[in-house]
Amino acid sequence: MKKVLVIQEDIIILKILERLVSLNNFECKAIRSLDELSIEDQQTNFDFIITDILFEGIAPLEFVAQVQEVLLHKNLLIVTNMGQDKIKQEIFALRGITGFYAVPIDLDEIEAIIQAY
Amino acid sequence: MNEESILLFIKIVAAVLVIYWVSIAVSLIYRKIRRARLNKIEIAFADIVSRYLYNDPKDPLSLDEIKRRLVKVGIRSRNRNNIQFLIRLMIRTQRTILGRNFSKLQKLYTEIPPYGVSVKKISSWSWYKKARGIREIYEMNQSQYSDEIFKYRDDKNIYVRREAQIALVVFLGWGSLRFLPYLQRNLTLWQQIKIVEKLYDLYPKPELRWLHRAYETEKLFGKKLLMRIIRKYELHDEIGYIIDNLNHEDYEVRETAIYCLKTFAVSSSTMEYIKELYNDIPDATQQGQLLNYIYENSDIDLDFYLKQLYSENEELKLSIAEILWNNGYKEKVQEFYYQQYPKATLNVG
Repeated sequence: MKKVLVIQEDIIILKILERLVSLNNFECKAIRSLDELSIEDQQTNFDFIITDILFEGIAPLEFVAQVQEVLLHKNLLIVTNMGQDKIKQEIFALRGITGFYAVPIDLDEIEAIIQAY
Repeated sequence: MNEESILLFIKIVAAVLVIYWVSIAVSLIYRKIRRARLNKIEIAFADIVSRYLYNDPKDPLSLDEIKRRLVKVGIRSRNRNNIQFLIRLMIRTQRTILGRNFSKLQKLYTEIPPYGVSVKKISSWSWYKKARGIREIYEMNQSQYSDEIFKYRDDKNIYVRREAQIALVVFLGWGSLRFLPYLQRNLTLWQQIKIVEKLYDLYPKPELRWLHRAYETEKLFGKKLLMRIIRKYELHDEIGYIIDNLNHEDYEVRETAIYCLKTFAVSSSTMEYIKELYNDIPDATQQGQLLNYIYENSDIDLDFYLKQLYSENEELKLSIAEILWNNGYKEKVQEFYYQQYPKATLNVG
């Protein structure tokens, strides 16, 4: 079964994304911070990681770089409140980013990407 | 001070300290319990919203189940703080979602408690509650209460009328401009900016018929607001309204007109008209600002600048001389300089 990791500090967005992913027949792991990751998770190659970039104690770009380095994945989607153009440009400059969605988001777009996979 | 009085003093201090520590302990315990309760509400609400938006046909979520769940986590009419927290969650959630799910969410909000809590706040005697109630209604897009809100658009309390005016914009969009001529109380700069931003976010397509009707307003704040709207939407065809206010008798209206005009480039014929208006501006600082605009947005018009150089406006002559000097008309500046001292003789050699 295809696997998705959702990392969102906002519990409401987290639950919605978890539900969206699960109903599309993906196995979903939903966590509120990287601290909740298990050793098994770190060995899993996720088909998608859907993550925020705003977490306490770490800069957004640094967080994305850390996720890219620590977690095996095929696609990385950013869903965040920080939708400024400058942030978007800097995130895409990191490479390996599949999509960037700033809140408010149309969940249908994310669903379409997942379904198309 | 004898031994007894010292003992009494120590007992009093000890009693105060004990009361102090007990109150800290009670506060800590209360906060812990409260945080746990709010956490529970948030998790329950997140679960309800996610299941409602993506309903699993195998395990459908019914409205009764939603209501039961909310009651279970403490959403009851007597728990006002819990209800207020839920309202905040509802607004926060609505702000994060667009498209089809946004409409679904709106439908959900009409079907679950708290029913009519925000609209009840509108009839409160407290301006704070009233303003908050209005805000919650427009944030949750409960347009069925719009009539209740609109009557506060010119309320004597600034915060109540501010929220009511924003609600007008949210519910009516460009149509809300029709109320502009009837407002009696001032719209602050902050409020004008809020209105323009809200209108632009929610109704990005301009509806000029409402704008044209609003031109009739004689209120100074109304004129300023309309010019800011023209600027924000970059309505090139409406620039005439801004230009007409360049020589308005009110300082702030002229200031807004000059500020908004700077966003636009104009045709040469319009620029000629602006140059004509230039002399009607009674304030030298504003004339200077308009002079900069004219200089940056048109070719050098020697006649215009020379006319200004030889006019009686002493404050701007240096700026005009600088423009001429830097654009190949040094001799004109020198000529102007020497003609000021016609009888002076040069003491050279």
